[in-house]
Amino acid sequence: MIRMLLRVLGHHYARPVRRTIALMTATAIAEGLSYALLVPMLHALLTGDTTAARPWLIAFATAVAAYAALRYAADLSGFRVGTTLLRGTYRRLGDHLARLPIGWYAPGRVGEVSLLASRGVLQAMSVLAHVLSPYIAAAVTPLTIVAVMLAYNPPLGLAALLAVPVVAAIQHWTGRATNAADTERHHRDQQATGRVIEYLQTQPVLRAGGRTTERFTLLDDSLRELQHASRRSTLSALPGVLGLTLTVQAILTALLILATHLALGATIGPAEALTLLVLATRCADPLLSLGDIGGQLRGARAELTKLDTLLRTPPLPEPPDPIEPTRHDLEFDSVTFRHGDHTVIDHLTLTLPEGHRLAVVGPSGAGKTTLLHLLARFHDVNTGAIRIGGTDVRAIDTQALMARIAIVFQDVYLFDATIEDNIRLGRPAATTAEVRAAATAARLDEVIERLPDGWATPVGEGGTLLSGGERQRVSIARALLKDAPIVLLDEVTSALDPANEAAVHQGIERLMAGRTVVMVAHRLRTVRNADHIAFLDGGRVAEEGTHDELLRRGGRYAAYWNLSMTPAAPE
Amino acid sequence: MTDTSVTDTSVTDTRVTDPRPDTGTLTGLLRPHAGSFTALLTLQVIGAVAGLAPLLAVAEVGRTLLAPGPPDHAHAWTAVLAGVTGLLIRLLFTTASSGIGHLLDGQVQLAFRRRLAAHLGRVPIGWLSQRRTGELAKVVGEDVSAVHPFIAHTPGELVSAFVVPLASLIYLFTIDWRLTLITLIPVLLAIALVPLMMTPARQREQRDFDTAMGRIADSAVEFVQGIAVVKAFGGADRTHRTFLTATDTFADTFLRWARGLAPIAAAMQTALAPPFVLLAVLTGGTLLIADGGLPPADLLPFLLLGLGLTAPVAALGHGFDDLQTAWRATGRIRDVLAVDPLPEPARPATAQGHRLHLRNVHFGYDTGRTVLRGIDLTLEPGTTTAIVGPSGSGKSTLVQLLPRFFDPTHGSITLGGTDLRDLGSNQLYRTISFVFQDIRLLRASVTDNIALALPHADHHQVTTAARLANIHDRILRLPRGYDTILDEETGLSRGETQRIAIARALLADTPVLVLDEATAFADPHTEHAVRHALTTSRGDRTIVVIAHRLETITDADTVVLLENGTITEHGTPAELLNQNGRFAAFWRTHRGDDPR
Repeated sequence: MIRMLLRVLGHHYARPVRRTIALMTATAIAEGLSYALLVPMLHALLTGDTTAARPWLIAFATAVAAYAALRYAADLSGFRVGTTLLRGTYRRLGDHLARLPIGWYAPGRVGEVSLLASRGVLQAMSVLAHVLSPYIAAAVTPLTIVAVMLAYNPPLGLAALLAVPVVAAIQHWTGRATNAADTERHHRDQQATGRVIEYLQTQPVLRAGGRTTERFTLLDDSLRELQHASRRSTLSALPGVLGLTLTVQAILTALLILATHLALGATIGPAEALTLLVLATRCADPLLSLGDIGGQLRGARAELTKLDTLLRTPPLPEPPDPIEPTRHDLEFDSVTFRHGDHTVIDHLTLTLPEGHRLAVVGPSGAGKTTLLHLLARFHDVNTGAIRIGGTDVRAIDTQALMARIAIVFQDVYLFDATIEDNIRLGRPAATTAEVRAAATAARLDEVIERLPDGWATPVGEGGTLLSGGERQRVSIARALLKDAPIVLLDEVTSALDPANEAAVHQGIERLMAGRTVVMVAHRLRTVRNADHIAFLDGGRVAEEGTHDELLRRGGRYAAYWNLSMTPAAPE
Repeated sequence: MTDTSVTDTSVTDTRVTDPRPDTGTLTGLLRPHAGSFTALLTLQVIGAVAGLAPLLAVAEVGRTLLAPGPPDHAHAWTAVLAGVTGLLIRLLFTTASSGIGHLLDGQVQLAFRRRLAAHLGRVPIGWLSQRRTGELAKVVGEDVSAVHPFIAHTPGELVSAFVVPLASLIYLFTIDWRLTLITLIPVLLAIALVPLMMTPARQREQRDFDTAMGRIADSAVEFVQGIAVVKAFGGADRTHRTFLTATDTFADTFLRWARGLAPIAAAMQTALAPPFVLLAVLTGGTLLIADGGLPPADLLPFLLLGLGLTAPVAALGHGFDDLQTAWRATGRIRDVLAVDPLPEPARPATAQGHRLHLRNVHFGYDTGRTVLRGIDLTLEPGTTTAIVGPSGSGKSTLVQLLPRFFDPTHGSITLGGTDLRDLGSNQLYRTISFVFQDIRLLRASVTDNIALALPHADHHQVTTAARLANIHDRILRLPRGYDTILDEETGLSRGETQRIAIARALLADTPVLVLDEATAFADPHTEHAVRHALTTSRGDRTIVVIAHRLETITDADTVVLLENGTITEHGTPAELLNQNGRFAAFWRTHRGDDPR
């Protein structure tokens, strides 16, 4: 646990963490040792000899003062280290997230990362501030007390010592037993969340089918399974808690009987017996709290494990000696890319001279978009290579690679800032005049005119205040402003109304002029003017050539073309 | 906390005018389990009080041993027996109580989730579409889980944290009131520190803390969602910086919060620590034995029970965070349950035919922003109406009023002469189906997905719909054909997903079909399939389509040009072209780009 904590934090935090833990342990030992002074003192007090008790009382007071000082220092140190670590962990998390391949960011990651970043980190870090100190105290103080008992009265001490291995074994065993059940519960939890999301998103259809919750069994089943799993997880922790309580109480009972027996038989003095019993009850409470604290510790550990897994996800490898390509011709050399078991791109070879336009067409699921993603190194290829100007993209520094590529995506994400800020993202150093020029070229000025605050209008999170076509135009303006030698277009005109489509077309034409372009397109008329067309199917190039060549060949492209040109004829 | 929620209910209960009984709150949902809840509390308290027995037994044994003369063996052993019995009772009762608590917790959570799900199944779809699904899912999932300490832990723990010390206190008072007061000193010290934790400054810090936490979550979302754009434009620094600024602000806030709180918390913890309490008892004890005539044996109960007096303060500190979290979670749950469901008519009327008529329809999402102004439109059975217009003109909003995603703010929409609001939603959805954006498949078999709106459809009907939507062959190529469970691994593309949605709509075979071409026509195959399917199966069906393609517009019976929330032109495609107005201009701009 501590090892994982240190790994997540990075090793330069090891020292303060170790110091805090040492301080907490010292506090717990000091507490245990201060109780040792109770034995002579109570002996004096219980026999009514207050004069003899006084020096011991002063000694005890000194010990308590020492304990209090240690405790205060340990608590503060826990807080302080926890807070420093919080900042450090956030930095590590942020830096790591920025270096992960874009391909890692599947849709489900949004929730996962935001949850981890907000509450997860805090919970993991609370180990130091809140959980560790009581845990150490609950384990170390009773051990010290047992040592004290052993020193004063070996038979009673031995009896107490018996509990140590049993308690340790139970703790260990509970941890294991609950782990499995907790994992299952977590799994069901995720499953149920997935079902809830589905249920919400399919409401219209579900209502159409008259499926209320009672009859939408998929959701109800998973809610019930979640309840069962959490019941199992509770039940799995129960034997541990019960076992712990049983052990502690059995030992307490044994000591009570033993001490009474010894004292009644006058084997030990009454004061001594009573003092040891007081010490024994002092052991019981912290030991019983071990169960609760253990649970908290396991919760923090689960978060810590998630952080650890994330931080150990390998980032996109950066070349040690980056090469800057000087040309911008493109080459896919026998590229294979797999997603899980599914081969998305299968030994694909394609070349494109600098300044030419390549159109990629094909049925949905053929791997067209993946091709663009591989070129921009969202993922790395499994085998083969992608080269820009003869240089493998993996040998180019990521920043340098991105500086050469402008991408217009199908789904445009805009940041919750003004339109101007969103365009400027293409080239932060651009002058206002350059930003305006790019916007005009993308026919964005007519959109901006309509907005209440013009250029300064915030677009809402994800750009929700603009329509799809308008967002697309912002994205084109961004790309125009960036002025990169390579342009990638992903189905940019597939979901536009005629007005937007015309505007977007004009912008795209300006964007493509004089650049090396790879475009994925469904609307075949945007394809027709490309220098080269590749028809993709199942991750392979099925046909390639110019529009006229492919039409003459009368193959799949020709069929596709004819299909899209035929209006639906009434039959 | 429990007190507060009880008061809360009684307040709500007095409002007899409230049409919906207060079943949404925590106490409302707990009411059916009141018996178990009482049992749980009783068991917990008895168990906790029984836990005092062994301590009293030690004290009693001590009294016997320290009494002058030979010790009374029988009395000592009776005390031991009583102590051991107490231990056993405590073991049994607290275990039983904790077991009941957790099982009850499971049931209550299930009830909560079912209730939330049922409620969300009745709120207007428009309300849902304006919310983030993730946030709502969080309420159903995480927030319900956060209520856990309310039910399983805290009430029992809180009650015992007060009952046990109270019992001890009374017992100790009967022995010696002076020493009892001295024993209370550490507790009083700790309580004196409490106001320091509640100062306005502290509370402000707590609020800052919450705000900063929220900002981290937001910036993380932006970081992840925008990562592709940001990386592609080499501006990775920007969001990265936003995220780091948010986390740094949070760390600062946290530090300020902790710095203010930590010394007080540490001082409080130290005052309540057992050695400190023992020191108080022993100091007082030494003084009183020496000069106050306290019998030495009477010191023992204080040593044993005195420590337990700190429990209430400790429990308050310990459970407080959980309680606050639980309280906030309950608030969010209550907010969702407070959303008015789509009003359902008490006695649903029946539509005569399925002609749709919009009369003077106005609509705005909020009072300031009117999207539709005075729409008058009749959609005759068996006709196709194409809605065209610039982006932002209200096309999507207009078609969303038909399946009652929202109700018009003014005017009315009637189906076969009956206002949509007077139809039951069952009948409404059996009349109107739609293919909009955000198509979502269920993690279920292909058959179940297609038959979603018509659960009892047979295999033949399902395959026919799939064939019409041109997805049948693709389904057969899936590992288990129509029985394949669809998930991310299935590898269906966007276009294929859309064709399944279209098969769904075709199978539903409703008299009215509303669709948005932008999402329905992902690629030429899908487009062709849908056109084909719609033409062949049109019959008496009313089709409303947000049209983007010229061929759709020319094929339509009626074209509606929507601009800035009003209908500016309306007629057959030929009429509108002849009018040579705005539609004609619109048409010409577009045809300029068209190769055909």
